[in-house]
Amino acid sequence: MKKILILGLVALLLTGCSSNGSTGNEETKQIVNIYTRDSASGTREAFEKAIDLDVISNTAIEVASNGDMITKVKSDENAIGYVSLSTDLLNTGLKALNIEGVVPSVDTVLNDTYSMKRPFSYVTRAAGDYKSEELQQLVVAYLDYLNNSIEGALVVSAAGGIVDTSGKVAFSTLKGNHSILNQDNSHLTINTAGSTSVASTLQATLEAFSPMAGNFKFTMNQTGSSDGYKRVLGSEKDGVNQADIGFASRDFSDQEDVTSALNSGIYCIDAVVVIVNENSEVNDITLDTLNAIYAGTQTTLK
Amino acid sequence: MNNLKTTKLNKIIDKVVSNIYLLMTLISASFMLIIIIFILFKGLSPFMSNYQYGVVNFLDFLFGTQYRPDMGIYGVGFIIINTLVSALLALSIAFPISVLTALFVVKIAPQRLSEFMKVVIDLLASIPSIVYGVFAAGIITKFTMTIASMLGVQTYGGTSLLSVVILLAIMIFPTITSISISSISSVSEDLQHASLALGATKVQTNFKVVLLSAKQGIFAGAILGVGRAFGEATAVSMVAGNKMFGPTFGLFNTTRTLTSTMIAGLKETSGLDYDIRFSIGLVLLIIILITNFGLNFIKNKVGKTHEKN
Repeated sequence: MKKILILGLVALLLTGCSSNGSTGNEETKQIVNIYTRDSASGTREAFEKAIDLDVISNTAIEVASNGDMITKVKSDENAIGYVSLSTDLLNTGLKALNIEGVVPSVDTVLNDTYSMKRPFSYVTRAAGDYKSEELQQLVVAYLDYLNNSIEGALVVSAAGGIVDTSGKVAFSTLKGNHSILNQDNSHLTINTAGSTSVASTLQATLEAFSPMAGNFKFTMNQTGSSDGYKRVLGSEKDGVNQADIGFASRDFSDQEDVTSALNSGIYCIDAVVVIVNENSEVNDITLDTLNAIYAGTQTTLK
Repeated sequence: MNNLKTTKLNKIIDKVVSNIYLLMTLISASFMLIIIIFILFKGLSPFMSNYQYGVVNFLDFLFGTQYRPDMGIYGVGFIIINTLVSALLALSIAFPISVLTALFVVKIAPQRLSEFMKVVIDLLASIPSIVYGVFAAGIITKFTMTIASMLGVQTYGGTSLLSVVILLAIMIFPTITSISISSISSVSEDLQHASLALGATKVQTNFKVVLLSAKQGIFAGAILGVGRAFGEATAVSMVAGNKMFGPTFGLFNTTRTLTSTMIAGLKETSGLDYDIRFSIGLVLLIIILITNFGLNFIKNKVGKTHEKN
């Protein structure tokens, strides 16, 4: 009994060591280690779309979150990974790579030279499906502020979202369209759901808008992109977690039919940054190289 | 007369209290039942022909060697092997250390040290798993990476099977030790005196009498420990690397366990990718059951060989 167990263990260890031995020679020292987010991540979706990746290489390993990505790439000199542009990379021991010679920044995202970006989308409940007529008018007014006013755009960009301010007007000119703004709304609560990535921009705009709109209250219940649609139009729209506006840090998918919504669209853009360890010699990378690395056809960074 | 009344009253109180106990038992038992029914229902749904997001083939699921939700491939065969390998390797490291520690604490260590060690072990057992995870991601992976680079092996920054095994061994050590301690301390003094009187040395008595008499509790500790090793998700997913294919036997390769698969991206997913996690949960439950039976079997064997001797 014991002997069989010990034999099995020894055999296991031997196979383990031998499979390591074959990859452990000098030439493979500089093989790039590919890090990716889990397959449900909006950042991963944005990244894969940007580099036009069909199928990611088997050798990639999946990290659990933005923070996990930073930790792992920091401790691995051969790593390549990606995070959202709003992530603060200062003092993290990471280096952001230029894409096709373009530095990742707000300006390059807006003038469309930087190619790795994703939309922050929103969708509302269907017309007439709100707790009250007043609440519906308030949601419409908020979205007008968020999408069409200069004030809203400034708040979004201060909170890390990327917005094009051209074509926006001062909110004073929009205000006349919303009679709901002239009354006290402290009895109304706007509930939001969906992507956690939108939280900072969303909270900033709600906080800024509330004093202009009769001091309404709001509850943000951000749990992940897939809940955005689910809780305003989908399976949980009448459940305890129901919301008035749902958010996704991606476009809504085919399974998420937003045609019945009162309003839906994109209120700002977020971008993805490719990161490597700060000790890496690489500073610039092309979309083709990224595609080759992540598809597994190229095993070095250069 | 009065006396008879009190007896009657006492009987009624007894009845009421025992019914309350029964109610409590039923409530806790029904939680278990509800959970099992819910997981069964959710976990089996992707294999039913009327499943709304596209039916998954059960055999491909159970014996698959690739887990690629992005390609619609859900194979957990290699994940099952990975989970077994990591948990059992961790157990084989932690078990001897735990049992010997327990023996030392109860039988050999001086009183003061023994009390101190008991406190330390209880503290270790109550550390939340996320703290172990942060420790593993910061310290264990560095250690693994150093060992690997000394052997000339490139790792994913130390994220590997070895890191998972070390982490799990550290995590299950206090569980096994503290149960072994209480089990060893409850071995009857008479047995030990008898053994010593027959001329056995202290060491012989400790190993052949004390440990064997305490085996029931020691194996209960092992079962709880291996249960924790199988079920640990948060900490493991921080150092496993979630490899997409396998199985992994190389100590420096990345791995993927059932729990790390279940927890990855849980909050951001929907449809099949969400429901399949219940199927994986079901597989995990079955594996834990089988392992517990296995450990029980070994426990009975250990006693029998001794009786023959």
